[in-house]
Amino acid sequence: MSKPRIVAIDDEAEFIDVIKNYFELRGYDITVAVRGTKGIEIIREKKPDVVLTDLKMPGIDGDEVLSLLRSMDPSPKVIFVTAYDDGGKTKARLLKTGAYAYFDKPVASLRELEETVNKAAQS
Amino acid sequence: MIRLNLFAVGGLVLTVSCLAVMLVNIVFGRKKVNLIWSLFNLSVAIWGFGAFMVGISKNPQNVLLWWKVNHIGVIWMPVFILHTVYLLTSKVNKKILIFAYIQATFFQLIEFLPTVLFFKDLRLVFSSLHYVTLGILYHPFFLLWISLVVYAHVCVYREYVTSVGLKKLSLLYFLVGSVLGFSGGFTNFLIGYKVDILPYGNFTIPIYCIMVTYAIIRHHLMDIEIVIKKTLVFAGLLASVFAILVLPTLLIQEYVFRSAGASGRLIGSALSGIIIILSLRRMENFLINVTDRHLFQKKYDYRELLRTFTSEVLTVVNLDKLVNLTVDKLTDIVKVGSSAVLLLDEEKQQFDLVAFRNVKDPKMSLLRLDGVVTFLEQTHGYLLKKELIDRKVYIPPSIQEIIDKLNAELIIPMVLHTDVIGILSLGKKKSDEDYTQDDLDILLPLARTLAIAISNARLFSELGKAQAEAAQREKMAVIGTLSAGINHEICNPLGIARGQCEAFLLNMKDGLYNNKTSGELLTKAKEIMAKVIKETDRATAITKKLSSFAKPAKGEAEFVNIDKEIDDVLGLVGYELKLEKIEFEKQIEDGLPDIFVDRKQLQEVLFNLIRNAGQAIGEKGKITVTARQDEEKVLIDVKDTGSGIPDDKLKELFNPFFTTKEPGKGTGLGLFIVRQVVEKNGGKIYLKETRVGDGTTFTVEFPITVSEKRRV
Repeated sequence: MSKPRIVAIDDEAEFIDVIKNYFELRGYDITVAVRGTKGIEIIREKKPDVVLTDLKMPGIDGDEVLSLLRSMDPSPKVIFVTAYDDGGKTKARLLKTGAYAYFDKPVASLRELEETVNKAAQS
Repeated sequence: MIRLNLFAVGGLVLTVSCLAVMLVNIVFGRKKVNLIWSLFNLSVAIWGFGAFMVGISKNPQNVLLWWKVNHIGVIWMPVFILHTVYLLTSKVNKKILIFAYIQATFFQLIEFLPTVLFFKDLRLVFSSLHYVTLGILYHPFFLLWISLVVYAHVCVYREYVTSVGLKKLSLLYFLVGSVLGFSGGFTNFLIGYKVDILPYGNFTIPIYCIMVTYAIIRHHLMDIEIVIKKTLVFAGLLASVFAILVLPTLLIQEYVFRSAGASGRLIGSALSGIIIILSLRRMENFLINVTDRHLFQKKYDYRELLRTFTSEVLTVVNLDKLVNLTVDKLTDIVKVGSSAVLLLDEEKQQFDLVAFRNVKDPKMSLLRLDGVVTFLEQTHGYLLKKELIDRKVYIPPSIQEIIDKLNAELIIPMVLHTDVIGILSLGKKKSDEDYTQDDLDILLPLARTLAIAISNARLFSELGKAQAEAAQREKMAVIGTLSAGINHEICNPLGIARGQCEAFLLNMKDGLYNNKTSGELLTKAKEIMAKVIKETDRATAITKKLSSFAKPAKGEAEFVNIDKEIDDVLGLVGYELKLEKIEFEKQIEDGLPDIFVDRKQLQEVLFNLIRNAGQAIGEKGKITVTARQDEEKVLIDVKDTGSGIPDDKLKELFNPFFTTKEPGKGTGLGLFIVRQVVEKNGGKIYLKETRVGDGTTFTVEFPITVSEKRRV
């Protein structure tokens, strides 16, 4: 089976580079954006299986992204990768409202992220 | 001729001034003593008038008559002075007084009899003055005269020793004045006994009369003190001038220019004149000092004490300064040899020496259980060493030791409500005088007032501490709310660094780099390492900014570059602003001078203002920070496009705990603390403009300081 299609959004250009290189080298179809609004456009166009997104970005909020993506058809799985930490409150809320996974930065293992992306695509 | 006229002038001055004094006594005096004192002055006036007539009369026949008139005064003077003393004190023997009247009446009769018993003849002195030669009865008269005068003064002195307070003082003035006057007048007798000294002493007599009149009529100390001081200085000056005038003139005339005659006298006078001109000012200062030091050490100026304390000391809110000022001012004004303030340390239950002058043991402290303290706490009274000794109270060695260590003569408690919060210790007065009831009447309430001032100062410093703590808490709370931005600024660089390294290793492991040459791999590794370094630096920078911001300020001013500090603060709040789509603009005038402030406190101010601006905007807007120089000031404007402040909230803007923010977003201490911090750094903060819906501009002003280190 083919590798899942991914769209990654993060305003940290260097980080998005790391993600892009990692998944590209492993044969994934990954498109990246550094701006939330631009990212939404790409998602609409690419219809990815999985979306990796930062939580707090200028212009758009994690909750907004989630509800927007949930309303899409087909609806991509949403994995948050973020440095935002408010003691787990936001994480719990997002997971409850339909986020597939939530990774804290720095990401403890790229391998684990990759596995989660795959699982998300399959489910 | 000059000297002759001086004798006449002296007499005339006496007549006029003593008649004036007499008039004052009759008009203002209400007591019998004033009447008798008027009679004394009348005697002096008669004496003076006689002397005046003697001085101007050419005819020897007339001169003798005027001498007799003159001696009416001389004969009655000791009688009336004794009577005055009799009325003023309880020391004069009535029989002696009656005897004085009898002998005076006797000599008065004798004097006018046409005999040579009292006055024998005339002789020419100072080449122009007809002076009497003395008859046989003059000698017993002179002896009695001296005896009565001395007796009167001894009585005054005895009364002076046993009296206290105001009376003691007025008696002292009486005594000083009297001795001054009588010793001046006494010079007249010397010529009678052929000791030819010019009777310039006569000039001291009116001074004396005025002085004593003041002492009797008005027991008003301050006035009399000044009058007497001035009088003494003036009298001393006069005496010195005449001494200088007479001595060289005489010497030169007698020995140097004996043959030169009139021109010799002229040279002598000129020489004296020069000496007087050169030394007058210095002499005056010397006399003022001498009178100040030796005469007025005795009594300090109550008014000055009260004025100084109410205006300069009790208003001080810095405890350290307050106690030191207390000690300094008390020592100076009350003129004591030593003084000290001890304050209660509640924790240690002991009184520590906090300010002192000339104590023997500056490290001493008093336990609350010490006898002295127990005594003061139980009685709220004072401890006067002299009183204890006089009353033969046994002083235990432990208390004696404390008194010695403090060099204390008087120990007064500082009582607040019912608690002794401190102890005031005063040493012996420099004048060696004892403390009187008058002293205690002013010092005891003063100590109570001091207790209130000290308690105020303590509360003030506690308030300051509480405010500093509140400021710190507020800052920590703010950092808490900043965690999003800070986390972002730390975790992102770490995430990037970690990701780069992990990806490289995983790629190697997964064989994804198999087709790359070692040169290519090395280049890749170098790239990654450069990135890692860049990102770790970024994380380090934010932690440094954060920790520098979080630490309490040192309170030390230094030259600070505003531009750089704005950047540092932006490092902390920039991300939050970005999240809220708030644009930030910085306009720093070229060549803006550094300002002399506490770096952290400036950061705090900028941080609070920028954060407030951000919160006022909420979402989407612009914050503009401008800094420019205006004459001797640097002005920093923080302008936002936020909601503005409604009119009814303007008044409360800088009040503590005033906030319009939602619960949890601010404690309201922000602007209150900002203002305190700005003011501590010598600056000002004010609302420049605000319009509801349009935004707000706050302006902070700092003076441009050239150098100087300032504690803030």
